[in-house]
Amino acid sequence: MRQTLDKLGAILRRDLLTAIRHRSGFAMTLMGVFMELAAFYFLSRAIGPGFRPGGVEYFPFLLVGTGVYTFFVMSAQAFLSSVQEAQQTGTMEVLMTTSTEPAELVVLSSISAFAGNLVSLGVYLLAGVAVFRAAIHADMLSCFVVLLLSIAIALALGIMVATMQITLQKGSAVLWLFSSGFWFLSGAMFPSESLPRPLELLSHVVPLRYAIDGMRMALLQGRSVVAMAPTLATLAVFAAVLLPLSLGALSVSLRHARRNGSLSFY
Amino acid sequence: MNRVVFESVRKVFRHRPALFNWMGRERGGETVALENLSFSVATGQVLVLLGPNGSGKTTALKLISTILLPGAGLVRVDGFDTLKNARRVRQQVGIAVATERSFFPRLSARENLDFFAALDEVPRHDRPARIAAVLAETGLEEQANTLVMKFSSGMYQRLGIARALVKRPGVLLLDEPTRSLDAGTTAHFWTTVRALTRQQTTILLATHNFAEAAAVGDRLLLLHRGRLLADRPVRSGESAEALRSFYFQMTGEVDEAPDVQRAETLS
Repeated sequence: MRQTLDKLGAILRRDLLTAIRHRSGFAMTLMGVFMELAAFYFLSRAIGPGFRPGGVEYFPFLLVGTGVYTFFVMSAQAFLSSVQEAQQTGTMEVLMTTSTEPAELVVLSSISAFAGNLVSLGVYLLAGVAVFRAAIHADMLSCFVVLLLSIAIALALGIMVATMQITLQKGSAVLWLFSSGFWFLSGAMFPSESLPRPLELLSHVVPLRYAIDGMRMALLQGRSVVAMAPTLATLAVFAAVLLPLSLGALSVSLRHARRNGSLSFY
Repeated sequence: MNRVVFESVRKVFRHRPALFNWMGRERGGETVALENLSFSVATGQVLVLLGPNGSGKTTALKLISTILLPGAGLVRVDGFDTLKNARRVRQQVGIAVATERSFFPRLSARENLDFFAALDEVPRHDRPARIAAVLAETGLEEQANTLVMKFSSGMYQRLGIARALVKRPGVLLLDEPTRSLDAGTTAHFWTTVRALTRQQTTILLATHNFAEAAAVGDRLLLLHRGRLLADRPVRSGESAEALRSFYFQMTGEVDEAPDVQRAETLS
């Protein structure tokens, strides 16, 4: 346990130092957040107060939808980038020769990636509330449970994208497919119910839909854990299925790459 | 005691054409990197791997480090099979390769070493002293706090050696370790290698440098197209020139280097 914490500390320190030494990137991300929020704010004003999807104002609806969506995509992107960078610089092979098991390394690295993206999500939501006056009625326990389950699912998706990068060297294409499909079907920008019936049915197998719906219920409508039990149960099923599946796929792909000598192919 | 054992190891790399092979020019096929390779290395021995490009030297080192897995046969380190006990093997093995860029560019040399040492389960309280020692050993003390993105090729290579040493491996794998090093650092490195063997470290060193092979080797393997051509001791005081003659005689390649150029290389 002490060794695991020591490794986690080393990974967090590495990522923090790298982020700090990329100060201009951080500042530009922050500016991007404000510009994106401003665009959504004026979009919701242009559409007018009459449009209240799910009974909430459109701007908070957009704020949560795009915030959770971005959290998912950026987490998967963080996984992909770390694998691609490791392949390009050669650290991938060296990391695979350390005493740390690959699965342990992936999970520990993900904690670091999620910590960064959670901070971004927090900044995004906080800016929406503080600067653009989005109305929230949060049930903090429900928010926490939705977030926890969402992290587990995002972790699984991130590992899947990383697996595709190791196996086919096409992680970016897979992520683009995932992200554009999810953007369309998850209800980030508009209620999934307004999709044509076949697409609406398809959206039920998109885990991000439940993460976004759940966060809206918890953060905007203040629903309790009991009141939103069906959504939480669906998220838990997705997490329970996708997480072991993705870890298994990663393990197979790493073994395959070791046999083929393609660990550092990109 | 044999620390590293290869038993009838075969390694083949298969190539598949790209998924969308529009031009139809790309062909599938396979490259036999190692064919039926068997050898063993004793504790505290320096085994030099010689051979032309593509002879299988690096593949052999990668098989020991578990970066690659054998297609057939067995690779064992301290009795542990690299297929079944990869983690136990990795705890014993350190590797440094010539084309070393495998560091985090926005971390300093010290921070990089600390990161990899943590993943190698070097106890936290031991790390500062060990890192200071390997930085001194590789002549990087003054650059300890420099971001590695500012390093030259030779400094990267020294840092790669430092990283391999910091875990104090029982088996050290070195792939052309002095290719980018200056003469002084190279000579110091050879002294370090000999000192490590006195601490019972087993070393496998792939090189094209006959002077290096003569300076540090106890034994040499000559590989050619994945096959073992020769396995013999490096005699005490054996010259680089003698090894060079042996190499060209065994591989059947023609030594076209003019005498003057040869003299420069050997010096």
